[in-house]
Amino acid sequence: MSFEMWAEKYRPKKLSDIVDQKDIVERLKSFTKSRNVPHCIFAGPPGTGKTTAALCLARDLYGDVYREHMMELNASDERGIDVVRETVKTFARVKSIGEIPFKIMILDEADNMTSDAQQALRRTMERYTETCRFIMCANYSGRIIEPIQSRCAPFRFTYLPREAHDSYLIEMAEKEKVKLSSEGLDAIFEICGGDLRRAINTLQSAASLGKPVDAKVIYSITGKASPADVQKMIKVAMGGDFMEARKQLRDMIQKYGVAGSDVIRQIHTELFRAELPEQWKIKLADIVGEADFRLVEGADEEIQLSALLARLVEAGCDLRSAR
Amino acid sequence: MHFAWTVKYKPKSLADIVGNADAIEKLIEWTKSWEKGIPKKRAAFLYGPPGVGKTVTVEALAHDYGMEFVENNASDYRTEEAINRFAGLASQYGSLFGGKRIILLDELDGLTGTSDRGGVKAITEVVKVAQCPIVLIANSAYDPRFSNLRSYCLLIEFKKPPAGEVAKRLKLISEDEGIQADEASLKFIAQRSGGDVRSAVNDLQALGQGKKTLTYEDVSWLGYRDRQDSIFNVLRMILYGKTCASAKQAANMVDVDTDMLFEWIYENVPAHLTDPHDLADAMDALSVADVYRGRIRATQEWGFLRYVIDYMTAGVALARKNTRTSGWIQFKFPERIQMLSRSRAERAMKLSIGAKIKKKNHISARRASREVIPYLKIMFDNNAEMAAGLAKWLDLNQEMVEYLVGSEEKAEAIIKLMG
Repeated sequence: MSFEMWAEKYRPKKLSDIVDQKDIVERLKSFTKSRNVPHCIFAGPPGTGKTTAALCLARDLYGDVYREHMMELNASDERGIDVVRETVKTFARVKSIGEIPFKIMILDEADNMTSDAQQALRRTMERYTETCRFIMCANYSGRIIEPIQSRCAPFRFTYLPREAHDSYLIEMAEKEKVKLSSEGLDAIFEICGGDLRRAINTLQSAASLGKPVDAKVIYSITGKASPADVQKMIKVAMGGDFMEARKQLRDMIQKYGVAGSDVIRQIHTELFRAELPEQWKIKLADIVGEADFRLVEGADEEIQLSALLARLVEAGCDLRSAR
Repeated sequence: MHFAWTVKYKPKSLADIVGNADAIEKLIEWTKSWEKGIPKKRAAFLYGPPGVGKTVTVEALAHDYGMEFVENNASDYRTEEAINRFAGLASQYGSLFGGKRIILLDELDGLTGTSDRGGVKAITEVVKVAQCPIVLIANSAYDPRFSNLRSYCLLIEFKKPPAGEVAKRLKLISEDEGIQADEASLKFIAQRSGGDVRSAVNDLQALGQGKKTLTYEDVSWLGYRDRQDSIFNVLRMILYGKTCASAKQAANMVDVDTDMLFEWIYENVPAHLTDPHDLADAMDALSVADVYRGRIRATQEWGFLRYVIDYMTAGVALARKNTRTSGWIQFKFPERIQMLSRSRAERAMKLSIGAKIKKKNHISARRASREVIPYLKIMFDNNAEMAAGLAKWLDLNQEMVEYLVGSEEKAEAIIKLMG
């Protein structure tokens, strides 16, 4: 067992190492072949490989010295306009030495940049297109201002499908000599969805116990890391206790950093599993879909999700009076 | 269910009333003069700003002097029938039971000009020939509508009581409620209320109910306002507003910015709109307001702010269809904001560990502090060897290791392993 963070240790190095997001990888490979990259937006939920794809693209383009031609800036930490004016501009305007005439700037979590900073960025992008290409990674592309969106090639990342998720984790467990049962694997997928970073962190923390990793171990440790019990929250809401449901939601988002889109996805899954009259399921699906859409449009996660919870409270009440 | 403290602690006797000693003295003198025969002015006209104790003074007067107290809201005096009843009552000094009678006509401002059939003119006619004391109350006596009526009345002005007096009253209430309130906090509430005792008591209840102590820190976030309506009044207007106009107006009355007002409304909607349909509609209105905020951010079109305000005020107000208003419900400070200001030290620690993670992991310090640290804690707790390896790899210092593992002992063991 190695003692660094596995999520980093096993991050794919080249585009060809990425086993999922096939369409995206194919398009990116065509960029490296033609040695030209447009400005890009990589949008999608956390842990789906946006940053990894950007880093792989850079490495495939520039080879081992890729760090000299690339800069990674995290907009969550440095989201003000000054950073764009100083750091970004300074990097963008200096010509790259080498066969490829442009550098790559990866702006991670770009949806957290202030709109002032985004406005400034828009001008920088335009002015220095010759010398620098931007890859903006974001959970919600709707939070990127429209003028930037229209200048970028959009890529939509989705949660990892089950097979890709399994193949990553199984390989990792083998290399780390951790016994991972298939029930354990099921449990990880159920809890983390296709968020690979969370899945890997979960696996590593489970492995730290020094026991074979089965479903029980996974549930016991994720209970500690993120009690994101969406099922329970739905029950509380349908039972009529909005305040408690909102509190649980708030804890998930604020304390444990669960992504809003992830909660929505889980609510959607749970609804169709729940014992509800059939017409209700589709009615509620519409409500979930609307919340999902509003989130993508760039609204606040907690507000949108708690409005959704209020609808569940209403549905629960109507259901009881119909019975 | 809670009772409003403004009701619970309403003064019963004149001695309990805050301030306005001169005005009260004048009123007592005039009431006593009725025992020697009908005085020249048969009505007393009390006027002054809201919440300074006009109505409560008349109630306490009736209580202290054992008079039969007949209270009416002046806006009821629009029909002939009501006016006749009023005239009938006013035509005798004594009541059926032999006691003396005092008639109160409150909220004279509520009467609208000529369209009211009875109105000011009818009231004036009754006052002219009244056989028992009549007290009229309005915010302003100098409204042109009252010019004729005024000449038949003894004018008594009520002023805002000084903050010190209000604070004394607040102290009595908090003592009775078992709250240890420091002087600065009460003075602050008193000052902020601008002499409106009622709103000061409301504020005290909102801030202090259920607490054991109340300090200046607990109240200071309210911020000083130049008699702008307190956030609680504004919330009341929004959550209990009946028209779009009144709810929307509320947004202009308060000096917190739109985002903060949004948080206040968002926090308090569920407690005040308890019917599930109302709640869902109100939350939906907030969610649409929030979508517009997102659109402002994306387009920088600040004109959209008007739709944010429409939805968060009028949209919420009009969601109330089935919820019955019952009792007094406390307004709460937005918990989302509180969570941010709480445990600043812990957040700083998490962020500094997050910054270390960021160096190695292509993830922002913020996100790492939320998403990775919980897992690190598990690893550090379970596996000292892995912890030592990770601490070395991430270049964590002793303090950080201590935070992650949660005990000094374990931290020392890990640091030893790091070598």
